[in-house]
Amino acid sequence: MKSIKKVALAAALVLSLAGVAEARDQIRIVGSSTVYPFSSAVAEEFGATNKQFKSPVVESTGSGGGHKLFYAGVGPDTPDITNSSRRMKVEELETNAKNGVTDITEAKIGFDGIVIAQNIGNGDMNLTLKDLALAVLEEVPVDGKLAPNPYKTWKQLNPSLPDRKIVIYGPPATSGTRDAFIEMVVEKFTGKDETFKAVLGKDAAQYKKIRQDGPYVPAGENDNLIVQKLTKDTEAVGIFGYSFLAENKDRIKGCTVEGNPPTFDNISSAKYPISRALYFYVKDAHIGKIPGLKEYVDLFMSEKMIGDAGYLKTIGLIPLPAAEREKVRKDVTGFKKLTAEDLK
Amino acid sequence: MTMGSALQMALMAILPLSVLAYMAARRRAGADNARGTEFHSPLVYYGWYSCLWVALPSMGLFVLAGLLHLLRIATVPGPVLAGGAVALAAFGLVWSQRAIGRDFRAIHSVEGAVRWALIGASCISILITIGIVVSVVFEAMQFFRLVNLWDFLTGTKWSPETAFLISTGRADGNVATPEFGSLPLFAGTFYITAVAMLVAVPMGLFAAVYMAEYASQRVRRIAKPALEILAGIPTVVYGFFAAITVSPLIVHLAESMGLEAEYTNALAPGLVMGVMIIPLVSSLSDDVINAVPQAMREGSYALGATTSETIRKVVLPAALPGVVSAVLLAVSRAVGETMIVVMAAGLMPNLTWNPLKSMTTVTVSIVDSLTGDQAFDSPQTLSAFGLGLVLLVLTLVLNVVSLVVIRKFREQYE
Amino acid sequence: MASLFGIDEKKLLRKRRAAETRFRLCAIAALVLAGAFLVFFLFDITMKGYPAFQQAELLVSVNYTTEAHDNPYAAMDPDTVQIVSRSFTRLIPSMMAENSRLIGTTKEMWVLASADTDQYLKGNANRLKPRHQALVDTMRQEGKARLAFNWGFFEAGDSKLPELAGIRAAAIGSLYVLLITLAISFPVGVMCAVYLEEFAPDNRLTQIIEVNINNLAAIPSILYGLLGLAIFINFMGVPRSSALVGGLTLSLMTLPAIIISTRAAIRSIPPSIREAALALGATPLQVVWHHVLPLSLPGVLTGTIIGLARAMGETAPLLIVGMMAYIPEAPENFNSAATVLPAQIFTWASDSQRAFSERTAAGIMVLLVLLLGMNATAIWLRNKYERKW
Repeated sequence: MKSIKKVALAAALVLSLAGVAEARDQIRIVGSSTVYPFSSAVAEEFGATNKQFKSPVVESTGSGGGHKLFYAGVGPDTPDITNSSRRMKVEELETNAKNGVTDITEAKIGFDGIVIAQNIGNGDMNLTLKDLALAVLEEVPVDGKLAPNPYKTWKQLNPSLPDRKIVIYGPPATSGTRDAFIEMVVEKFTGKDETFKAVLGKDAAQYKKIRQDGPYVPAGENDNLIVQKLTKDTEAVGIFGYSFLAENKDRIKGCTVEGNPPTFDNISSAKYPISRALYFYVKDAHIGKIPGLKEYVDLFMSEKMIGDAGYLKTIGLIPLPAAEREKVRKDVTGFKKLTAEDLK
Repeated sequence: MTMGSALQMALMAILPLSVLAYMAARRRAGADNARGTEFHSPLVYYGWYSCLWVALPSMGLFVLAGLLHLLRIATVPGPVLAGGAVALAAFGLVWSQRAIGRDFRAIHSVEGAVRWALIGASCISILITIGIVVSVVFEAMQFFRLVNLWDFLTGTKWSPETAFLISTGRADGNVATPEFGSLPLFAGTFYITAVAMLVAVPMGLFAAVYMAEYASQRVRRIAKPALEILAGIPTVVYGFFAAITVSPLIVHLAESMGLEAEYTNALAPGLVMGVMIIPLVSSLSDDVINAVPQAMREGSYALGATTSETIRKVVLPAALPGVVSAVLLAVSRAVGETMIVVMAAGLMPNLTWNPLKSMTTVTVSIVDSLTGDQAFDSPQTLSAFGLGLVLLVLTLVLNVVSLVVIRKFREQYE
Repeated sequence: MASLFGIDEKKLLRKRRAAETRFRLCAIAALVLAGAFLVFFLFDITMKGYPAFQQAELLVSVNYTTEAHDNPYAAMDPDTVQIVSRSFTRLIPSMMAENSRLIGTTKEMWVLASADTDQYLKGNANRLKPRHQALVDTMRQEGKARLAFNWGFFEAGDSKLPELAGIRAAAIGSLYVLLITLAISFPVGVMCAVYLEEFAPDNRLTQIIEVNINNLAAIPSILYGLLGLAIFINFMGVPRSSALVGGLTLSLMTLPAIIISTRAAIRSIPPSIREAALALGATPLQVVWHHVLPLSLPGVLTGTIIGLARAMGETAPLLIVGMMAYIPEAPENFNSAATVLPAQIFTWASDSQRAFSERTAAGIMVLLVLLLGMNATAIWLRNKYERKW
């Protein structure tokens, strides 16, 4: 009889293991590490204030990884929402459609500014996009040819800058922040600069190799470490998201870019040049199947989250201008279908 | 319905069925036995016999279906699979009841089955190896289709960023091609490993010598568990300690000596990793030192040698193969260590001799490319599997060499 | 005879004795250094972590006005709202919805302070504005601000608000993952060890298995993560970040350790016991089941516990199978998303908010206590039941 009890016990264990295999009562969110803090903050708020729903699970997989998991198909095995620090690509939308994910809603939630910051004790630095691009590029045009980047100090770049060694702690190659930095600083400069055009012709905008000879130090996704470094290392500057500057204003300060300091207002009005929009994408087919999904989206788009006095602002999100916010909210909470036209 | 959920559904039916089978068969045999029929085997074996008939064929069906699916021959739909398995189980229940009789030797059947189960369990270890190799090799092959293996192994420049741009679809024209020269990664790995070995080998060896040759029973009773605590600390904790405490300490020390150190220097993870590996070296060396025959020591003492002379001239040379094997295992452990370097080492591939500079390692790149912000099928993500493959081969070679060396040692003295 | 062969024996002897002392000192130094590291390490983590076991609370008066129902910030005076944790403020509307008698009343109660207030009271860097710092100071003088024992740390799951974040969900997740690891690696490991020690013929297959187990023990844990990703998630369709996939991955990783220790335990049982049982007519399997396994059980359990402790502290493979996520709730079954203690520690360690770093150290303290407890149990088992035959 003892062994029968054992068998019954094992059976009970496996039964509990089997549990709910098919249905899922918990929202699953994947995607960008930049949107992750905002998304998980809303998820927490959602779980805490809606007792009838479970807290969503938010995983930071990177924008690309998120889209890949998202377009795998429709069903409880696939995520309901993917966060993205860039817009969905047309090819990604096509892959989605091919895999049966035909109805997707795009939600633009606000802006993320990328700041160039330094130790609070330093003098101000007024950078231009040109200074920044020339400081990080691997090769620059010298006498009509590309030559290894000769600049070692900021003063060499621009006489108005301090005579300090160029040391930049920035995001690593795998980071979306780095991608955004390259897009908004380096490409913007190389595409327009006459000397680059003279050397590379129409391919100038494609030149964006970051130097590896020392001045640019990839410092990891953990932007907190960069902040810590800046508090010790007064020579260096760091590149990271605006929220880290907001979080550590007592220890570091931002450099102005093209004459605009990285402030809240400048970023949301797009006066500050290095800022990008953040998105999330909802799988419409899951609405009504996954409990709470609609309510989560409603909460995310509500004024108390992404508004001017919203919670996400306190953790670094820069809200959309009021009029655009209103329009986006209407589209998103009505689950407007995303089309290829929209992405062009 | 995925195969996993089909399995779970089927299990919900099969488990009660097998309990039922056990009870039914036992009761049947028990009733006959009470009527005075002498059964060949102890009664429980008839129960188990029936139970096995329920469980084994249906589980075998799942294994078969899994293999078919894995080899891309056919995919059995989940409901069919679950239904088939339950039907097989029910059939087994009925079929096995028939066989129960006075002369039926249930114990032999059950023992035979159990023996096969034991063999099966032993083969799981082989399956795991195959699983690891398969999961790494397929993706790695895709990677090596894009990147030349030779360039990968000998290139001195790791700058996959343009790979990243290609995958986001914004690179065309004559963009510089991504460079996947893994040499700087391996250089960083071996550098940090070397630092760790500089800490772990002398300290581990001396600790082992002390415990084996000098320490009193009491010291050993305290020191051994203390070393085991070091071995039991999770690597993520060591990583936090290296990043938050040791690394700033090194930077301060370097500053006070007028040197410039980076926060992600190679020294901090190396030192902490070294401490982590001390117990491994010391316990393995302790074993081999104890395995050196006592007669050799006594011979040395009889010639008037001091303890340290005996250790250096007699015990250690005799134990050398064992020590070498321990060191090789320690190296393979250090090369594959992940969390400490993820948290405390840098991300910049750097070919340098300066331990105060930032370096990155193979394991850091693997984690970085699998959790970073880019598409899954970009060359950079695939590079994780390429690196994983090299790492796998490296640790296997180290381990096999270490096994061969220690076998030589054992043949000599045991 | 002063010296033979022109060697000063006394000098030589002194030299040899000095060498002996030096060597001995070196050996002691190695042990002492390792011990010193351990002490420094534990001290450092404790110093960093113990403040997290205290949490700031404030005595505030909350006005449950109708206005507060729509805007919870209106329930307290504007300055107080800034130093109170959001985890309290955001619940005011739902509290009022649940209990309509609250509406129109004012209550004085102890509530959780914000992370910055907490850090300020502990004397750490914080982001409070001078005005709010002054407010906290006056409240402290009036006895309206206190540091209380942080029960919340053991009762709550992960949170983006440092003052609310706790380890309960991660601890339960660890338990689930360990259950699966135990349920798979223990039976399979013991069966494999029994076969290799008691039944295996000395053939090629056996040799391959033996070498293979040794190799598996040496494979870096991160490669097990790649295996989990490719086989369990992509091929078998086990849900990402679930306790199941974590447990399966870790069970494969723990298997070699359990096999190796079980074999050692079985090997230490003298053959006379087997021979006696066989002589009495037991079948080979009965010998194993009735004699060998029960006798080697202490050794087997010791090895299993140490293996599980290992698995409990492992992070790298779980990083690959998606357990590094924001998972605030404890898992309800093996398929639901779970996080584990070391993963939680890693997530906190990489968070930007400074108040998380003491939580990280506190989480480490809890993890270490659990692991040391498991290891101590193993050592105790070994010492208590170890038999020399």
